[in-house]
Amino acid sequence: MVRTAKDIDARLYTILYKISDPEIPALSIIDLGIVQKVTLEGKHVEIDITPTYTGCPAMDSISMEIRYTLEQYGYSCLVNLVLDPAWTTDFISDVGLQKLKDYGVAPPLSTEKDKRVLYDGERLVPCPRCNSTNSKMISQFGSTACKSLFQCEDCMEPFDYFKCHK
Amino acid sequence: MQRALYKYILLLGDNALVLGHRLSELCGHGPSLETDIALTNMSLDYFGQVRNYFQYAAELEGGSEDSIAFLRKERQYVNCLLVEQKNTDFAYIIMRQFLFDHWYLLILESLCSSKDERINAIANKAIKEVKYHHRFSETWVQRLAGGTSESFKRIQDATTFLYPYTQELIVANAIEVEMHEAGIGPDLKDIGQHYYDQIHTVFNKTGLQKPEENFFHKGGKEGIHTEHLGFILAELQYMQRTYPNMQW
Amino acid sequence: MNLSLENLEKQFQDRIDAGDNIEPKDWMPEKYRKTHIRQISQHAHSEIVGMLPEGNWITRAPSLRRKVALLAKVQDEAGHGLYLYSAAETLGISRDELFNQLHTGKAKYSSIFNYPAVTWADMGAIGWLVDGAAIINQVMLTRTSYGPYARAMVRICKEESFHQRQGFEIMLTLSKGTAEQKEMAQDALDRWWWPSLMMFGPTDAASTHTEQSMKWKIKRKTNDELRQQFIDITAPQAEFLGLKIPDPALQWNEERGHYDFGEINWDEFWQVVKGYGPCNKERINARVKAWDEGAWVREAALAYAEKKDSIQKAI
Repeated sequence: MVRTAKDIDARLYTILYKISDPEIPALSIIDLGIVQKVTLEGKHVEIDITPTYTGCPAMDSISMEIRYTLEQYGYSCLVNLVLDPAWTTDFISDVGLQKLKDYGVAPPLSTEKDKRVLYDGERLVPCPRCNSTNSKMISQFGSTACKSLFQCEDCMEPFDYFKCHK
Repeated sequence: MQRALYKYILLLGDNALVLGHRLSELCGHGPSLETDIALTNMSLDYFGQVRNYFQYAAELEGGSEDSIAFLRKERQYVNCLLVEQKNTDFAYIIMRQFLFDHWYLLILESLCSSKDERINAIANKAIKEVKYHHRFSETWVQRLAGGTSESFKRIQDATTFLYPYTQELIVANAIEVEMHEAGIGPDLKDIGQHYYDQIHTVFNKTGLQKPEENFFHKGGKEGIHTEHLGFILAELQYMQRTYPNMQW
Repeated sequence: MNLSLENLEKQFQDRIDAGDNIEPKDWMPEKYRKTHIRQISQHAHSEIVGMLPEGNWITRAPSLRRKVALLAKVQDEAGHGLYLYSAAETLGISRDELFNQLHTGKAKYSSIFNYPAVTWADMGAIGWLVDGAAIINQVMLTRTSYGPYARAMVRICKEESFHQRQGFEIMLTLSKGTAEQKEMAQDALDRWWWPSLMMFGPTDAASTHTEQSMKWKIKRKTNDELRQQFIDITAPQAEFLGLKIPDPALQWNEERGHYDFGEINWDEFWQVVKGYGPCNKERINARVKAWDEGAWVREAALAYAEKKDSIQKAI
């Protein structure tokens, strides 16, 4: 079950919201949907986070940053990496999707459209700059595991597309 | 039982480790930037799985993900022989990947309903990425087979050389039998049937021929490797062996 | 309206002065186009060649965590290269031509990558110092006049900040580790310090191109200014690590409000730029080899795509 943001203690929510994915700094770990469970007992916090991609190297640094940040606020903290529930792009919040777009990364399409785009070369991904769907895939694999590289053939902007991961 | 489970995890983890290693040798040397990125990405996925597998293994029998990955001796690694084959050329890289991906995807599909919760979770995570690898390798087999006469010759050579390494994947050893009986691992006979059906279908479509001789290599799962593994370990283990007992 | 070339160029410069971005489909002077092809492609080449010293250590990374981080870093660099090549291509040059320029030495890449990555600690030093210097150069470019380049720089800078932190973290782990590890870290710093300072180019007095680059906002600060900025930020970091920067003249100057530092070996700088550094040939050879050996693969992909296309058309 995906924990929605409102299940998290309000004080902790505000603190955690400030922590972002180091590879996509526009996205808070809350909006990214990797924070699964937060339990608070007195001043001790236990947090479960689920990695986006199996090999995601940011998880270690995110764990450290969570612990460090909470310690600055006077909490003691234990961060657990859990594999279940397995993260999917569905976990990204609506705010997160918009922030991705503002940052210049096209948010993930539905599973079905994603396949058509990546494997059949269909032009469905809207350019984050000009919104045109006249975009072509340059590379299925981009600079990070979650992204593909596209180019808009209308305004010529190269951009990253966040792949559907389900 | 725990010992058998531990050994089973090593079977899974060592395949990911050695194949991940072979792919990681290619960084900066791919035939195009796009393929370079793809191969690096796949290597990253495998090492992520290695960490998941070996962290679990360490919880069961002690040690750490790193001691399990880096400090065993040659005869203690139990990867299949297919994954230690060299990156001879791009056709070999693709065919090795294709032959492995088709098998591994079937394995993961089964492990997604493993009675062992942790393996179940690892598989559910890994399968998302392996589906991409599977698609990638199959697409490239088609491209190379259907591209030019040179690319066809090369992928055919790779097929002839690597096909004899496939049977080991689907012949269960004692550990795999025990795991299947416990509802943790798959029935390799069943997997084997689907596996060969699938790869032969692709061969038929693309005009690739499997070798005529009914000869297959084995031994990897019992720790008897080709001469390649020694060199792989020499590189892989170098830092941990030369600077023992340090934090990195 | 007088559309003489002179007028067009003036209007163009006015737009830049007003802070407008130039986009791929806008009119631009030929020199601007050519300069940007060179600037962006050399940046892309640097990312690609930069994969080699680090890629070299992936198979020998000392822990799984470090291996995964290094793989991701190299993938990131490849992705940045691809992104920048795509941006350069929209200005009117093909990928083949771009690689040809790199392989024949017509186009340059950042000289820093002509130094060898000799020990594991080099991975820390490269992340900390080389990425650190690159970020300082790149931050300036986030407000450059050519839109796609500026926007790429915003994202690339953020992603490289993560790499730099990881590099620093490697150095920290080593310097707080065993005596052998600390020695390894110090040795890497000794070898990478001066070449990192050279990443900012010749002194202002010896620099050409600067005026035009300033007008088009490719450069917003001078080489010496950026180099000073780097030293001021990095010297305290070295102190924090408990390592010594290999410059006896390095000293905080209260009056200037900056660190004083020693003379750079400009002979070495020019030698390396000219092609006589420790691994210039190895770097290019590696790229040429990969490209040449990959020719049959690219041809196959093209042939297959064409066959599929004509089948589609026939249907």
